[in-house]
Amino acid sequence: MIEAVPLEWILTVAAALFCIGLFGALSRRNAVGILMGIELMLNAINLNLVAFWRYLSPLSSTGPVFSLLIITIAAAEAAVGLAMVIAVYRAWQTVNLDTVDALKG
Amino acid sequence: MEIVVQILFMLISALIIIAALMVVSVKNIIHAALWLFTSFFAVGALYLLLEAEFVAVIQVLVYVGAVSILVLFAIMLTRHVTGEGQNQLYSRWWLGLILALTLFGAIIVPTVFKQKWNIPAPTVVTEPQNAEPVVAGVADIGKAFMREYLLPFEVASLVLLVALIGAIVVVFEERTERRVILTLAESWALRQKESAKVDQ
Amino acid sequence: MEALINYLLNTALNLHAPEWVILLIRHLLVATILFLVVPFQMLLLTYFERRVIARMQDRVGPNRVGWEGVLQPIADAVKMFTKEDIVPAAADKGVHLLATGVVVVPTMFMLSVLPWGPGMTPVDFETSLLFFFAISSVSAIGLVMGGWSGNNKFSLLGAMRAVAQMISYEMPAILSILALVLMTGSMSISKIVEAQGGLIANLTDLPKVPDLGLGWLLFTPVGFLAFVCFFISALAEGERTPFDIPEADSEIVAGYMTEYSGMKFGMFYLAQYVLNFALCAITATLFFGGWQGPGVSQLSAMGANNQLFSILAGALGVVYLLLKTYFFFFTMVWIRGAFPRLRIDQLMGLGWKFLLPLTLVNIFSAAIWAACIHWGPEQGLAFLSAFGPWKRWAIAFLSTLVINLLAATLLVRINSSAESSMPKLVEDQKFGAVTLP
Repeated sequence: MIEAVPLEWILTVAAALFCIGLFGALSRRNAVGILMGIELMLNAINLNLVAFWRYLSPLSSTGPVFSLLIITIAAAEAAVGLAMVIAVYRAWQTVNLDTVDALKG
Repeated sequence: MEIVVQILFMLISALIIIAALMVVSVKNIIHAALWLFTSFFAVGALYLLLEAEFVAVIQVLVYVGAVSILVLFAIMLTRHVTGEGQNQLYSRWWLGLILALTLFGAIIVPTVFKQKWNIPAPTVVTEPQNAEPVVAGVADIGKAFMREYLLPFEVASLVLLVALIGAIVVVFEERTERRVILTLAESWALRQKESAKVDQ
Repeated sequence: MEALINYLLNTALNLHAPEWVILLIRHLLVATILFLVVPFQMLLLTYFERRVIARMQDRVGPNRVGWEGVLQPIADAVKMFTKEDIVPAAADKGVHLLATGVVVVPTMFMLSVLPWGPGMTPVDFETSLLFFFAISSVSAIGLVMGGWSGNNKFSLLGAMRAVAQMISYEMPAILSILALVLMTGSMSISKIVEAQGGLIANLTDLPKVPDLGLGWLLFTPVGFLAFVCFFISALAEGERTPFDIPEADSEIVAGYMTEYSGMKFGMFYLAQYVLNFALCAITATLFFGGWQGPGVSQLSAMGANNQLFSILAGALGVVYLLLKTYFFFFTMVWIRGAFPRLRIDQLMGLGWKFLLPLTLVNIFSAAIWAACIHWGPEQGLAFLSAFGPWKRWAIAFLSTLVINLLAATLLVRINSSAESSMPKLVEDQKFGAVTLP
């Protein structure tokens, strides 16, 4: 793997994944869709961390440890975020975030 | 061998990117969720290709096994929102597109095209059985969690606990009364109890 | 095996195949063997289950096709193949079709990390135990897909039930396995099996024990408790009878399988039996020594001189593993014949209030076990190295036995008292439905 694929390729894939996730998080109306975009972005970050770890310092365990912590945080974020989605649905009967504008003033 | 790995890498990354594009563009939100899992799974495959097998297994266990189920449950609990027919993107979705594309260019141009990466000569695993390991394995990760990263580990577990309790508090619905359906044996026992009381 | 393929390709046929081609052919061969063996196992298991359950319910069971009905599963398979495949008009057709694959493929993956005999693991890597459970949780997505795509309330309800049950029982299963990982110090299934040679005490704990292949982890207090918790969770994950709420046919037709017919239904059926087989096999592997048994290690030691003996050792190992697996499958059928179905709140209560705390205590005693047996002056426990290995083993055994017994009795008492101190039930007029104040 490491001699066949240069690091830049993986970085490009991760950057593309991050930007797609960003687009999803910015322009989806559905709250669950926004959460999905955020999950994609976190995945891209993890991919970067693991790639740098494998290419630059494979003997230290910092890279996997960091990505495991990010996976933990992502799981927690998904749980809380989806709970909030359900709470929003109970109050507004919709999960489209452009209709949830009670604080508009 | 190199060409095989390259083709494998291309296939996996194409799957990641296509699945991610489908996630943000598909109208039906359940289809978007299914594409999201495809993307997660392909990222896990890329981890395997990068010889980070523990991270790959955890990716499958947490993302595909738990987060995806959570997403599907959330979609199904908020009914009538699979979103067939209605527009799934904001009216000004092109702003987000421009922002994402600009960011992609801003990341890619300096790092990939301008920067020369002075990567040290790669250490390659030839024979995993008899050679010294060159990649940190599960045991090393475990030791790292118990030594250098003990505090982050504990904090992460605390975050998980807080998220657990927080999620329960946010979605908990107070009910004035709960309905319990009894089994035949239980209702029979209840009736016995009641009749015993009446006899006294 | 690689040597054999290498010989065939490069020496006999003179093809100059590189290393990765040989590796690829080897993996393809093993995968083909697995794909051939597994559906055959499923046919055998369905026949076995139907005959055994019929015997328990005082019936005869299938006995018409072939001698004593042994060809019945093949007749059933032909029936499945020739049935009309109906897809509901309102169904999401693509997801409806894909769900079958998403359910079946992970169960096949599960079998790829099982060690079938000494040195006979199809894919062996450091984290294979975790991989086994990670990949088994993927099929939950397939269940949701199947339940949702049929556009049927019953199948959606069944899928929701199935997934809630699978997720809440995955936790006790993995936690009980974690105790074994602590004891053996490895997350690779084949290493855990290799650690179970010996007699009562295993060889890693007491190096001087005669090696009869009987040093199963079941014979330690930690392993026994882990086995009980794991087997209950395995019943729930395989949707076997006390926990078959997801497909309770008297309540919600057939759960997530309701909208499937013909061969698609057959695929779900196949996935279920392969999953049960894999769960039985992993129980046998982790707690009952897998291929370990009297004679296997002696034969494979003799195999260093003569290739024939190592083949014999492999065959004996497979026989031992399959015997143990069938025993567990028989136990599953036995439980199906003996117990009625649980209610959903009883199921959740059992998982979260009883099994989860019990497995947590079990991990604590597994840590004590590992400390008593393996630790020494480097970890700051210099006083332990004053005892001999037998004494250390006895200390570990007794202390973990006391802790586990205390925890089990305490939890049983707490749970039974919680049951009796429930608020007084007020009966409704209709259907025995009751409201809690």
